[in-house]
Amino acid sequence: MKLLFLLCVVCSLPAGAAQPKASARPTTAADAAPAIAAKLDEVARVGSVMTDGDLCKRIVTERAQKYMFTVDPRDQWLAGDNYDVNDEAFIAIKKTLIRLSRLAPFPIDVNLWMPIKGHPDKIRVVIRNSHEMSQFWPWGALYQDMIPQMKTVLETGKPVTVTDKPGWVSVLAPVTDSLDDVVGVLEVVTQIPVDAHANVK
Amino acid sequence: MTEATYDIALCIGLCLLTASCLRAQVVSLKAYPEFLRVDPFGQVVKADLPAEATQASLNIGRRTIRLTCARGGYVSFHLIAEPGDGESYSLELSSATGGSEIQSDIYREWFHFLESDKAYYPDALIPIQLPYRSRFPEPDNRISGQTSQAFWVDFWIPSSTPPGLYRARAILNAGHHSATLPINLNVLSTVIPERDVVTMDHNSYGSSWLGSQYPGLVRNHPDFYSSDAFFHLIQAYHRTFYEHRGIFHQLGYGHAGKVGPEFAPALEGTGRSRHIADWTLYDRHYSALLDGSAFAGTRRGARPIPAVYLPINPEWPAQFVNWGEPGYEVEFVNVVSEMERHFREKQWIETRFEIFFNHKKRYMGFPWDGDEVRFPKDNQYFAEYARLLKKALPPDTPVKFLFRADVSWDMEQQFHDLAGMVRMWICSGGILSWYKDAPQRLRERGDIVWYYSGPPNVSEPSATISKFPFQAWLWGVDGFEHWLTVDPGADPWFHFEGGSTALVYPGERFGREEPIPSIRLKIQRNCLQDLALLDNLKSRRPLDTLKAEAARRYNNSRLEDWWNPRPPMADSPPSDWAGTGIDDATSRTSKMLAAIRSDAWTQVHEFVMKLISEAL
Repeated sequence: MKLLFLLCVVCSLPAGAAQPKASARPTTAADAAPAIAAKLDEVARVGSVMTDGDLCKRIVTERAQKYMFTVDPRDQWLAGDNYDVNDEAFIAIKKTLIRLSRLAPFPIDVNLWMPIKGHPDKIRVVIRNSHEMSQFWPWGALYQDMIPQMKTVLETGKPVTVTDKPGWVSVLAPVTDSLDDVVGVLEVVTQIPVDAHANVK
Repeated sequence: MTEATYDIALCIGLCLLTASCLRAQVVSLKAYPEFLRVDPFGQVVKADLPAEATQASLNIGRRTIRLTCARGGYVSFHLIAEPGDGESYSLELSSATGGSEIQSDIYREWFHFLESDKAYYPDALIPIQLPYRSRFPEPDNRISGQTSQAFWVDFWIPSSTPPGLYRARAILNAGHHSATLPINLNVLSTVIPERDVVTMDHNSYGSSWLGSQYPGLVRNHPDFYSSDAFFHLIQAYHRTFYEHRGIFHQLGYGHAGKVGPEFAPALEGTGRSRHIADWTLYDRHYSALLDGSAFAGTRRGARPIPAVYLPINPEWPAQFVNWGEPGYEVEFVNVVSEMERHFREKQWIETRFEIFFNHKKRYMGFPWDGDEVRFPKDNQYFAEYARLLKKALPPDTPVKFLFRADVSWDMEQQFHDLAGMVRMWICSGGILSWYKDAPQRLRERGDIVWYYSGPPNVSEPSATISKFPFQAWLWGVDGFEHWLTVDPGADPWFHFEGGSTALVYPGERFGREEPIPSIRLKIQRNCLQDLALLDNLKSRRPLDTLKAEAARRYNNSRLEDWWNPRPPMADSPPSDWAGTGIDDATSRTSKMLAAIRSDAWTQVHEFVMKLISEAL
């Protein structure tokens, strides 16, 4: 499976897209995915240092959290209609994530995922970015079942690389707050080849 | 006549009558009005049975049909062929229109099995050439026990057609038997106005669905999304809606700002150096739409599309990483200025270029709602973009840039706070129903007002789709948007979900690199023709009188029944409202409109025909 994925990666890699520096360009099939994963690893490592976990915790409003699991059979949009964020925190973290994504010379997104207090079996994406890439987000979900690899990151504080979906590489990295608690997960993700039309909706 | 001669004549007559009856049992050709859809077993579908009618009373159909129509439009009916079990058959139409330019379009109606209703409904319309030859059960529709095949007949009456009576005949041949249905067309001298009083918009998102719905095209064009076939297909969608008196919108970006390559010029640089590097794909996509050449050869004539979404969003053309900083403004202003110059040089000055924010914060791309603002703090972003836009555009530009907002919860506040900035309002119909004075007030200041909802499910009465343009006209708004009209589901042919997000279907299954229309789209078009005629009569009768009578005939309603009282909760901030409160406060109209009879629009159509006949 892993070999198949590597072949996929190499065959579909746009010429020169992955590594603009000649010295860093992979020369064999086996080199390609590790080179990409290594770059994502690097972004993730920087991201873990640069992302302010305390600020991340302030993004989603209490109101949004209160309604996220409220069920009203007469109002199927209740959770979404009450979803709100604190602009300043959101913008500051989003800008950090965008800057992190620019460390890679090929298209990547850095998404922020956070656990949900009182719901250890759930997790949610909090910030997505402009390539609209994620290996885990089912389009439109406000929250979803905890992703095992993210749980591992939250519990151990160690990054995890996920290549479960063919053509996708995600490096999951911890986000910590001032208490050094792991409060979130960065998904540093790319897809090869990039699907220019996916999620344009 | 002698007694013997009389006896012989009587005998021959009885023989002929008997033979005719026998034939009638075997081969049958019937006409049904457009609002009565018939299933593959010859029964009017349940949803179209008016309350007091019985199935038996409706199944008779008509052995002849007389249609009255204005010029410059269409007149339609269903033709039901029953050639007899297991027989091959052919259908043809002999025109006796005396050298007129009247044209006929015949479609085979596809019967979709609706799991939820355990019943078949016809909807997709497959264009056919006459004579049409097939057998039962229809080989591709594969319905066991099928006894009837429905065809939709459109007659196109050019405005140059001399008024008068025209005749045609539909002929069904099966084995040695045949049945004939005489068709009489009474063409009145009135010409349907070209321009609609209500703009019917058909919305869509992105273009990846085209690849999914046309796998054959994708196989044949490895670079499908940059191929001529791709752009021709997009134009075909525009043409189909245009020919049905509608328009087509395709939003070109996602909730986190990803822009489809064909929806925007390619950009390069950052900050001061950010600029448009390449217009190639954009121009290939839009040139023929914006100069009107994509519509050459259509019956309505070549003209530019009236509106198009711009790709502008919080991430394009300015990069969100610069939001709130000088770089954001520079990037936005420079690129939008370049766009204005390009459009001006191309003389694309008839189309509205719409700045529209579709993103919602629940999709985690941006921290504010562009679509359906609920929290008033989000309006500050609109004000900022209005400022940037003003800075980017020359004050005397002939290019029509228009800031548009789709509004619901906070619309009343937005009408006030964003006056002079947002100039086009696409309103939630439910909430707009509380603000009876709003449409006129907004239009008086030069704004455009539409409302939105979605297509009815095929299992609703056939006339249900008419309530949208009709309500728009009664309300005095400019248009209506079906929020999604190109998604018939993964398998609309054998696992149909009802069509509430589709008014067209992919034609590839039938060898066509274009969409095929639906019965609902045809009924909507015919309704729009009538509305254009009705509104045109306001020079002779007060508009309110016309509206009141049309409403009475439609569903025995009064004009005030189409509005809801402004609820007390409207005085509190929308962030305090409950969604169920909105439902409660719109229940009057929603209850009234939940039960539209299938013949509701026919009552209005007959009123229109009567009025224009009297006016001659």
